[in-house]
Amino acid sequence: MVDENLLQDAVKKTVARKDVKYVVGYDKGTTGFQAAPTFAFEEKDADKFIFSPICVNNLAVYPILEDKPPLRRGEEPDSRKIGIVLKGCDSRAIVQIIQEKGLKREDVVIIGIPCTGVVDPKKLKNRFPGQIKSLEIKDENDNFIVTVDGKTQNISKDELMPDKCKECEYPTPIIYDILIGKEIKGLKKPNYKEIEELEKKSLDEKWKIWEKEFDRCIRCYACRNACPMCYCKECMVDILDPQWVRRSVNLSENTAWNMLRAFHLAGRCIGCGECERACPMDIPLMKLNKKITKDIQEMYDYKAGIDAEAKPLLAMFKPDDPEEFIL
Amino acid sequence: MKEKFEPNIIGFLCNWCSYAGADLAGTSRIQYPPNLKVIRVMCSGRVNPIFVINALQQGADGVLIGGCHPGDCHYERGNYLARRRMAVLKNMLEYAGIDPRRVRMTWVSAAEGNKFAEVVTEVTEDIKKLGPMQHFRRENKW
Repeated sequence: MVDENLLQDAVKKTVARKDVKYVVGYDKGTTGFQAAPTFAFEEKDADKFIFSPICVNNLAVYPILEDKPPLRRGEEPDSRKIGIVLKGCDSRAIVQIIQEKGLKREDVVIIGIPCTGVVDPKKLKNRFPGQIKSLEIKDENDNFIVTVDGKTQNISKDELMPDKCKECEYPTPIIYDILIGKEIKGLKKPNYKEIEELEKKSLDEKWKIWEKEFDRCIRCYACRNACPMCYCKECMVDILDPQWVRRSVNLSENTAWNMLRAFHLAGRCIGCGECERACPMDIPLMKLNKKITKDIQEMYDYKAGIDAEAKPLLAMFKPDDPEEFIL
Repeated sequence: MKEKFEPNIIGFLCNWCSYAGADLAGTSRIQYPPNLKVIRVMCSGRVNPIFVINALQQGADGVLIGGCHPGDCHYERGNYLARRRMAVLKNMLEYAGIDPRRVRMTWVSAAEGNKFAEVVTEVTEDIKKLGPMQHFRRENKW
């Protein structure tokens, strides 16, 4: 359980610094059902900052999405830092962005939160169907204490946690400037059981499964916009000349989009699961991302978002990389 | 009479080795199937996975990528980078249910006209057995 007073104090201290523009964190949201990202520009804004298991969003997208308007003549660029509240998994995104030189370490002030697991909004919705007027969730050892419209229940974490939390390796942020509370050791290991099961199926079966999934895609690009690693100024699907992927929504273009999205995250995906959470059609995008994560772990012994000094996976090589597939 | 299936294979051949190897196969009058449509690229490292997926979308039944042998790249590291990229892409395609034999990679040097002919024969025969690529072909409906 994270002490919110400590968090608010840390935010106050950070905003008060002269070299900090603002701090991004979580707000209770309107219903308390889903936390909303919020900004603190002044010290008094810090009072609305919270941290509870409903804070699922990955705020690492914010510093790179920042608009930088062209400067007037003689104007100095605003080089102030941005403060972010980050969970363990989210911090890997920042490490990966720093590795790719999308950001500099000194551009951000990280308020790290040792996280004991969040709630999957989709699972919560299935558990409590219908309209919820108010909701409060507290974290206690292996249970979430959920108060829905005044009724309190104890629900085990396994039931409500997203898959990424069940196999979380880094509950404590990898890099941080201020840590709220004590470090937590990551004891869980990644679980590739689901992936291996799918791998074992025949090609036809696999295609039938993915055909169904990709056919549902409406190409809203929510997966791209929620992803902290998708920060290209112009995405390859938005390019019109040459137009690699057409805009029409059909199986062919959807497959191309989903595969290329997954490929562009090869060696970069940090497994925060934001794409899957944002997907309005419930396409299991993490199954695709995790397969690549598993492959590169096996083939190149590489893990994304751990070491900001390491070289990007696809921009380096070893002479003895596996090549059994080459004729 | 039903026409026999003749596969369409797109070959991305690197300018310095594989393309020259294909040239040698031609000048040495070695026979190989005419199903390969060659696109010359300056290096196998130039081959973006978008090219491969786009080719499969637009009617190719298979894709062959040819580069220099490891260590022989004209640009020193292009083929090593291509090898990593294609390894990841091939695994992903197989995971999605597309036969990995449709996307092949090969090292052919400028002196290996024979090997080039052998590779093209093998790939063509494999794809003939697999039949046309029908997974996610683009339909040109207007």
